[in-house]
Amino acid sequence: MSSPYLSVRDLSISFGSGEFRAVRNVSFDLARGEILALVGESGSGKSLTSLSVMRLLPEAARMTGRIEIEGRDIAVLPPRQMEDVRGAKIGMIFQEPMTSLNPVLTIARQMTEGLIRHNGLSRREALAAAATCLEDVGFAEPDRVLRQYPHQLSGGMRQRVMIAAALALKPGILIADEPTTALDVTVQAQVLDLLVDLKSRYGSGILLITHDIGVVAETADRVAVMRGGQILETGTVDEVLGAPTHEYTRALLASHLTVEKSLRLRKDETGVATS
Amino acid sequence: MQLPLRRKVERDFWENRLLMLFLILKRALVAFLTVLVVIVLSGVLIHVVPGDPVTAMMAQSVTATPEAMAEMRARLGLDLPVWQQVGLYAWHVLQGDLGTSIRSSESVAQLLLQRLPNTFSLAVSGLVIALAIGIPLGFLAAVNRGRLADTAVMVIAVLGVSIPAFWLGLILMQVFSLKLGWLPVAGSGWRNIILPAFTLGLTYCALVARMTRSALIEVLAEDYIRTARARGLRERQVLLVHALRPALISIVTVVGLVFAYLLGGQVIIENVFSWNGIGRLAVQAMLERDYPMIQGFIVVFATSVVIVSMLIDILYGFLDPRMRQK
Amino acid sequence: MTSTTVTAATLRSLPFTVILGTGLALLIIAAALLAPYLAPFDPMRMAAGPRLAAPSAAHLFGTDEFGRDLLSRVLMGGRLSLGIGVAAVVSGLAIGGLLGLLAAFSGRLVQAVLLRVIDVLYSFPDTLIALALVAFLGPGIENATLAIAISLVPFYARVTYGLAAAERAKPYIEAAQLAGVRPGRLVRVHVMPNIGQSLIVMGTLGFSSAILSAAGLSFLGLGVQPPSPEWGAILASGRNYITKAPWILLFPGVAICLTVLSFNLIGDSLRDLVDPRRKGRP
Repeated sequence: MSSPYLSVRDLSISFGSGEFRAVRNVSFDLARGEILALVGESGSGKSLTSLSVMRLLPEAARMTGRIEIEGRDIAVLPPRQMEDVRGAKIGMIFQEPMTSLNPVLTIARQMTEGLIRHNGLSRREALAAAATCLEDVGFAEPDRVLRQYPHQLSGGMRQRVMIAAALALKPGILIADEPTTALDVTVQAQVLDLLVDLKSRYGSGILLITHDIGVVAETADRVAVMRGGQILETGTVDEVLGAPTHEYTRALLASHLTVEKSLRLRKDETGVATS
Repeated sequence: MQLPLRRKVERDFWENRLLMLFLILKRALVAFLTVLVVIVLSGVLIHVVPGDPVTAMMAQSVTATPEAMAEMRARLGLDLPVWQQVGLYAWHVLQGDLGTSIRSSESVAQLLLQRLPNTFSLAVSGLVIALAIGIPLGFLAAVNRGRLADTAVMVIAVLGVSIPAFWLGLILMQVFSLKLGWLPVAGSGWRNIILPAFTLGLTYCALVARMTRSALIEVLAEDYIRTARARGLRERQVLLVHALRPALISIVTVVGLVFAYLLGGQVIIENVFSWNGIGRLAVQAMLERDYPMIQGFIVVFATSVVIVSMLIDILYGFLDPRMRQK
Repeated sequence: MTSTTVTAATLRSLPFTVILGTGLALLIIAAALLAPYLAPFDPMRMAAGPRLAAPSAAHLFGTDEFGRDLLSRVLMGGRLSLGIGVAAVVSGLAIGGLLGLLAAFSGRLVQAVLLRVIDVLYSFPDTLIALALVAFLGPGIENATLAIAISLVPFYARVTYGLAAAERAKPYIEAAQLAGVRPGRLVRVHVMPNIGQSLIVMGTLGFSSAILSAAGLSFLGLGVQPPSPEWGAILASGRNYITKAPWILLFPGVAICLTVLSFNLIGDSLRDLVDPRRKGRP
């Protein structure tokens, strides 16, 4: 494992007068080619943590701590320099593929603008690069997709476009905030497989934000369990899920297992096999 | 592999065009029905005149002999039952016959059509000014939401909707024509259009600014703006491309409304600046109780409003990809 | 939940604009009510001072072409303008409200026809509807008031329909209907109390538009006739003295602006509380 690409130290986020800290002293590292899952229930601060790495927190939020990318602290970068970091060094995809693409711009426009801006490509070069990326995420007819508008694509297709657009810029890490939550169950697995596959192909690290411990078990290398704005425990997936030291992690695991067990039971009873 | 794909694309293409045509036809039908309702209403209106309309009309005339009045009654079809009169009126209007002006004995349609270009050029100039001032102001306010610039724009906006257009016109006239002598007071040349156009533009830019602001604030809260920022685009590009474009499309939908209000305000403004449009003609007719003329004005005016808002709806269909291809 | 809980806390949370607007409106209403006592001269008395005199200690707003005191005329004009506004709003709200309720609680056909006609009328600016009606009714203060009232009907009908239709969709109405409550009673006892407050807020919105329409009509000579000191009518006659005596244009115009502004400030802020989905409509 190489030295960490992203290193977060003592990150705290507070709102308003600062009495309540939504994120408290969070620290973690992430290397290229590695998948770190931040897992926790909603309100645990995992999404705020990921947004702060992008410096996309709401205006009312105040943030302290260090966020280093390749050894440079981006927490103190002026806004215009941060614009050079976003997309190019860290990409991000969001939970809602239905609303995360601009409805009045073509896919081509939305996929090429980052390439033109960060990589200095011409429009034509950017289009070619975008088409390649769309092929990489499994589109058979990339040129057709490029000409389309978001509403002409399904949710799963849109999320794949989002992934392709983010990865086209070859960022050191990709933040995926609940990338499968809004998708159909059948599509969820495809998108997760795609992320794992692309991670090895593009060599990006992935910061996977999820509430679903099943997703963690399937995809992540390491996991950090968050609750109430703090990281409760962190380690490899085998360590944490195999032998959780914390009560809360155990509870998370237990609830997940119960659900899965009961689902399996029902399937056996009715004899209906779903993929 | 190539051929079926192309065929599918082509089929989609024609399906979209057909659907579009269907939507346009449907919209046109609604527009036609609206105009029909207005025609019937304006046909009915003459019967709400208190007392006898002919007496009212000829009150100021020296030729008001009983014979002349009977003749006019017959000419206006006032001796028929009401529903027949209204039906007859609607039938004539649909054939382009708006009747004859009582004052000038000329064709109402002719008189109105002569003035229509003047009215239209003033309305369009006013609209362009309103949009050119209102959209940037609304943009400024939305981008600086809650800050000083936003408050300033909102204050201007509420002042703008509170100032009567004709009073603003009088003030502009006093300052720019009479005090400074820069612009003519009245008339219908190209230099004459400047003051009335700015009066209308300044009055209705407040409305445009408010609409732009609320449309843009809504768009700025969308997920795709966050996506655009996460892509590392320059903030200028995020605002001008990703936010302003969708906002403008939703602004287009209300431009028809602004246009209708502007035309309404214009009736008074034409009189303030003696602009030779149908608004001035109409007010003259109202003061002289030239009923066929007034009815004609209502029909022509309503038809313009309906046609413009129909065109804007269709334009919206072409601008918004979600409407264009579904 | 109910109106009884509107207390000091609610008042404090009101935006500054509402307080400013309310203060201004109360001042204007007080001035209009007390006009006979406040006015230094009889507004109709000619040669109360020199003709076309500039503002001075004797005539704070100056005098007009007949030497009438402009301050007195503007004060008394406020009574006329506010009176027309109130009468138009009350009758417009009554007719529009009834039509809106009728549309909301009648059968499909009646509803469709009513809504269509209301929508057609709603797509035309209210000033224009007032103008068209006055053209047929003839000039004068009563006709102008009636015309303005009717011009507000489409707006009020639509608002009432919207509120009532939303109310009608609530389960308790269905329960009451199933229990055999007659439509008239249903509206009176169940619907009206729930949408009444919202309707009053909408009333203030129509008020500023009514004032503007009244001034516009009178300015064109189709509304209140001279020598009545209505603001629009004063502006119409003052227009001829625009260079010699610009104060005749200034003061009535400012009076219109302040009145409309105060009610716009109140209405705009309250509208968001009543109808958060409404956008852009003036």
